[in-house]
Amino acid sequence: MLLKVENLTKRFGGLVAVSDVSFGIEKGEIIGIFGPNGSGKTTLLSLLAGLLPPSAGRVFWKGQDIAGARPNVIASLGVIKTFQNPQLFSELSVFEHVMIASFLAFTRMKDHSRLRSFLAPGKGEATLRARAEKALTLCRLQGSSEKPAAELSYGEEKMLGVAMAMMCEPELLLLDEPASGLGNDEIQNLENVLRDLRAHGTTLCIIDHKVAFLAKFADQAIALQQGCKIAQGRPHDVLADPGVVKAYLGRSHHA
Amino acid sequence: MKALWFLIPLYLLPLLIRSDVVLTVLIFTFVLGILAIGFNIVFGGAGQLTMFHAAAFGVGSYVTFLSMLHFSIPFWLGYLVAVLIVVLISIVIGWICFKFRLKEFYFAVVTLAFAELFRLVALNWTSMTNGTLGMLVLEKPTVWLPGSGVIKIEETVPWYFLTLISLTGILIFSALLMRSWIGRNFSAIRLNEDLAQTLGIDTFRYKLLAFTISNVIASFAGALYGFYTGYIEPAYLAVAQSLDAIAMVLLGGVSTILGPVVGALVLTSLPHLIELPAEMRVAVYGMILILVILLMPRGIVGLAAGLVKRRAHAS
Repeated sequence: MLLKVENLTKRFGGLVAVSDVSFGIEKGEIIGIFGPNGSGKTTLLSLLAGLLPPSAGRVFWKGQDIAGARPNVIASLGVIKTFQNPQLFSELSVFEHVMIASFLAFTRMKDHSRLRSFLAPGKGEATLRARAEKALTLCRLQGSSEKPAAELSYGEEKMLGVAMAMMCEPELLLLDEPASGLGNDEIQNLENVLRDLRAHGTTLCIIDHKVAFLAKFADQAIALQQGCKIAQGRPHDVLADPGVVKAYLGRSHHA
Repeated sequence: MKALWFLIPLYLLPLLIRSDVVLTVLIFTFVLGILAIGFNIVFGGAGQLTMFHAAAFGVGSYVTFLSMLHFSIPFWLGYLVAVLIVVLISIVIGWICFKFRLKEFYFAVVTLAFAELFRLVALNWTSMTNGTLGMLVLEKPTVWLPGSGVIKIEETVPWYFLTLISLTGILIFSALLMRSWIGRNFSAIRLNEDLAQTLGIDTFRYKLLAFTISNVIASFAGALYGFYTGYIEPAYLAVAQSLDAIAMVLLGGVSTILGPVVGALVLTSLPHLIELPAEMRVAVYGMILILVILLMPRGIVGLAAGLVKRRAHAS
């Protein structure tokens, strides 16, 4: 098991945003977490990425307890999160964005000497640039590589977030509502990118409130409501779960 | 790195110009330029508005001189003691500020308070520093040259070359630093610290590194300054000194390699070029500074780079 979450809980004062959630993610799997707005999806992802410290519970990454570790430590272990609202380094070009995200790839380069790359960046830099091109192509941004990132559309900004994350060579990619705010063409594009990521062997954990979108990809689905896990299993089974139907539609199908 | 070719004419200048005034202005430009480069690394690089660089500048001059005096060691060894102390101070202050996640003005205010603390020590530890009266520095730095052996740097021309070579070294270092993975991580922190952290950058460690490097460079400028002027006083650690360096960086161009040096040149030579009564001079000088910063938000170097780019685009 790649990632194992045990009784994870997050309280903000009196509000319990994530309550006693447990699940596991296997290598190569795509897991979809869905739930209505305010059900604790983003909080859950932030806990996994170390952006928030949990109030209780544990998170194991390949057997190592990472709950409460700093985000950069979790990122260096291979867990990268993208943001729901695209986070950018404003004044840089698209290509520079991906290059600035190259630090983890740089530290993992086998034949690099830090001193040598300080004095003469040459070879290592060329490897990183090639890798950046690849990440941009993967995210269908190769045509905009020299554009200032500020000129991208909202959907492209989100793809740039994925490209930066892919530059870090994640084993597990946490995607926070990748489809929200996208037009139909952009969603189609996103679906293609996600298929490529899966083919690439990246394990994905996607949260979204669009159930149909997740059902297309996910091997496993988890439904959240008010911070609690109310169902888990194959997407179609979860969608048919009476509790889930009730949470979404406010009443049961059979009522 | 191409920018560094601009330094070559400066190496040839003493062959053409013998005027002590010009060379002296340039020596001050080089020394204060080094201070400004240090500030540009932590502010223009990692985006942290420090107000501690004047204190590092002052500590550099005091510690270098006092360790020469008390341990009878040469200038460079004395400066090494200063480096050790400045690194230690930077780690302690940086650790406190960055552990408590102080940003922007909060970071500026806390580093300013620490700088004042050091200034008050220099002012009141009279038995060691001679307080307000300051200290006369009669010792001179020595360098070993092939052919002539160990020589003392006393005259204007040797000082000119010592400070110019120092500036060149610091400029090369800062250019290498800013284009290396370290500089890239600094930029990531300046532009979006939270994002930088989720991309695996240890923002705490790199902010501490930027702060320490900047202070060590500032302390080097301080050591050169004290020995060149032959006088060390608590005012070296004052906020005015910090603000001067900030003005140089803003004027020359934040986040550019040459900006701090260009800013230092303008602000050091301007008072000599404008021949006005002393009381008018400060006002005029202040107005020029305000106008330039308002009209050229990216500084002189940023403006020039923009023009070159536009011309290249047009042709």
